[in-house]
Amino acid sequence: MTFSIVVCIKQVPDTNDIRWTENNTIQRDGLDSIINPYDIGAIQFALDIKKILKDTKIFAVTMGPEQAKDILKEALAMGCDFGCLLSDKKFSGADTLATAYTLSQFIKTKIPDFKLVICGQQAVDGDTAQTPSSMAEKLDLPQITNVVALKTITDNSSVWIRETDRLKQEIEITHPALIASSNPDVEIIPDIAGYISAQNKDIKVYDSASFDCDVERIGLKGSPTQVKRAFRYLISRDSKLIDKSTPESAADLIKHEIEQIRNI
Amino acid sequence: MNKNILVYIEITDNKIENVTGEIISYLHQNFNDCNINGLLLTDNSTYNSVKNDLKKLNIDKLYVIKNDNFNRFETCIFASQIADFIENNQVDIFLAGATQNGRDLAPRVASKLNIGLTADCTELNIDENAKLLATRPTYGGKMMAAIYSKTRPDFATVRPGAFKIERMQTKETEIVEINSNLCNLNQSVNIITTMNKALNDRFDSADIIIAGGLGLQTKDNFDLIYKFSQLIDAAPAASRGAVERGWAPKSIQIGQTGKSVSPKIYIAFGISGAMQHLVGISNSNKIIAVNTDINAPIMQSADMAVIADAAGVLNSLLDKYS
Repeated sequence: MTFSIVVCIKQVPDTNDIRWTENNTIQRDGLDSIINPYDIGAIQFALDIKKILKDTKIFAVTMGPEQAKDILKEALAMGCDFGCLLSDKKFSGADTLATAYTLSQFIKTKIPDFKLVICGQQAVDGDTAQTPSSMAEKLDLPQITNVVALKTITDNSSVWIRETDRLKQEIEITHPALIASSNPDVEIIPDIAGYISAQNKDIKVYDSASFDCDVERIGLKGSPTQVKRAFRYLISRDSKLIDKSTPESAADLIKHEIEQIRNI
Repeated sequence: MNKNILVYIEITDNKIENVTGEIISYLHQNFNDCNINGLLLTDNSTYNSVKNDLKKLNIDKLYVIKNDNFNRFETCIFASQIADFIENNQVDIFLAGATQNGRDLAPRVASKLNIGLTADCTELNIDENAKLLATRPTYGGKMMAAIYSKTRPDFATVRPGAFKIERMQTKETEIVEINSNLCNLNQSVNIITTMNKALNDRFDSADIIIAGGLGLQTKDNFDLIYKFSQLIDAAPAASRGAVERGWAPKSIQIGQTGKSVSPKIYIAFGISGAMQHLVGISNSNKIIAVNTDINAPIMQSADMAVIADAAGVLNSLLDKYS
């Protein structure tokens, strides 16, 4: 039986390259868009599974504007089999709850016999890490987040390594299930064959009418959280500028500060 | 205002997580006209081992949901118990620590209740509509967003270390024990092994943090940070840039998601001060920045901005202390 995996990916601005306007808003023009780095870890898990379970089909799913097709093409070149773009003006402005609802409804309707949903732990633009758990709830799936490695897998279950600041666990989960990868540093470089075969693979575009979803629960309308204001962070301290001609005199000053708190 | 605020009490390895106390302390300072209550899911033996510490949390009412199966955290079960509790009690604001388990659990609860959730907040306020306004770093820590939710209760996770624990008068806590009749365990998740890692609370306990950044220029120079920290018993730390160069491990990076510090003195050597770094150190009592670049953002954010060569100053300090 075919083992279907849904990998959820997101197109994000390259946050290492953010510039500010004079009004302290983010300069969006000319910002590079990339696949969220954590999602590449998720794709890697799916490709690893494909090596073990031969009859694996990987669906790369993203929600975004037409431009988000670019990351689906990249995912296909990396080895995913199908690309699904959920694109509709009504989807835009979605917070994590509305995003989780939309993706879950899509998966339920269009890929109902999936065995695994694999996500990146978080997206580097929002950093919320909320969509995977929120989706697992909507799809009524068991979940493992903060996953760093796949240990073993069969059709019916898999064993994963979960690692947090506090603990390291080996967890077995019965399929269908949701996995969130916390590996941000995975690199998959598609080869020419990958790009060529990607040209023959299909990217399907879905709007809100093409699967079962309640328009009251998607996009901005379906999003309970709203940004009241966004601003650049500045610590305001009464800064004292000290120009020291030699490292020694600067060191004396720091030594004095340290002694002041250590002698109390 | 008089809102009912519920704080999720998180326990790891028979210890109450620091962030739980930090949230409660912050609420006492900023929301003192509200009822501050706690919610704990636990088994009997864990409950007995933390009972005394729970009394010191200084909350009005502690709800303890007990079940033999709550000896370890399991997302699906905990989420449904918590959602059930919230639906059946008067809760205006629900807060949890943004630990990794907290961030695993909270979205599942929010999704079950179909309410908004704001992640990893560093500031909490009440807006003019009497709604929670939760502020958090976003865009890779380069921008702050103040967020409210249209739904009830208001719900946010709070970044560990973002708030300080201040001592206060202890008050009597009313304890309400609830026996959970849950017997169906989640059969789909089987935790085969769990290894508790040594708690890396070096940042929490250190009165002095010595941090290095790209201004140190070489790994050898960065090693001076370790040497000097060891010499004066301070905690070493690194900027993201230094970690990316491989000079320091990620575990000592300041300013990444989920890490804020509040030492008495924070000394930054050759750190320019990306926003997420500045957010991460903003609770420090005193910030000293050593940098040759007078225009580096950290120079405006430090109490003392010392214009000097970072490696040179470190070498000189090592001389003076040895």
